[in-house]
Amino acid sequence: MLQVLLFASLRERAGWSERALSWSSDYATPRAVWNLLKLGSLQGISIAVNQELVDADQPLQAGDELAFLPPFTGG
Amino acid sequence: MGLIHVEIRLAGFDPWQELAQWSGHEAAAAVFVGRVRSTAMDGRPLQALELEHYPGLCERQITRMAVQLQQEYGAGAILVLHRVGRLVPGEPVVLVAVQADRRGAAQRCSAALLEQLKHHAPFWKREWCADQGIWLEENTPL
Repeated sequence: MLQVLLFASLRERAGWSERALSWSSDYATPRAVWNLLKLGSLQGISIAVNQELVDADQPLQAGDELAFLPPFTGG
Repeated sequence: MGLIHVEIRLAGFDPWQELAQWSGHEAAAAVFVGRVRSTAMDGRPLQALELEHYPGLCERQITRMAVQLQQEYGAGAILVLHRVGRLVPGEPVVLVAVQADRRGAAQRCSAALLEQLKHHAPFWKREWCADQGIWLEENTPL
């Protein structure tokens, strides 16, 4: 299983906030998952795996929590 | 090194009351309070500001920044409170306070922490005007 989370504008664009995907070798990296989700360009999007910010090409493993994060606007 | 306290709040807070209860006895303290503006980025009157965060990662990112900057500037106790939820104009959004032995360390550490928080902590703002919400794509300039 791969848990995918979307936040803020990304969640509204996709129409969902959380999805559990059955593990597959197609989900080798965050970039690969992003491309399968067809949510537009990955530019400006941050990625977290198991609540750590990572690169789009970091290898994924079954059981990971993968989050796609639009540009941060706090403070 | 002083204590670092980072907290995301769902309910409103009074920054001055929070500061009165904040521990630490260094000679200098720098305080920043950010409040919700009354106008949106496009100049229209703002009804409300909605703030969302990624629980867990958000608190950890801010704590990590605070630890690193505390060391870098030789600062003492650090307090960061940040609101999430739906806020109205005038409500406090963020409180950053840093103690140090000298004003320079306190002020520089506080300014650096606020900038890092704005750009590297997973918070998102949505402005509400006339019952329509728009997610902001970038932060306000310094």
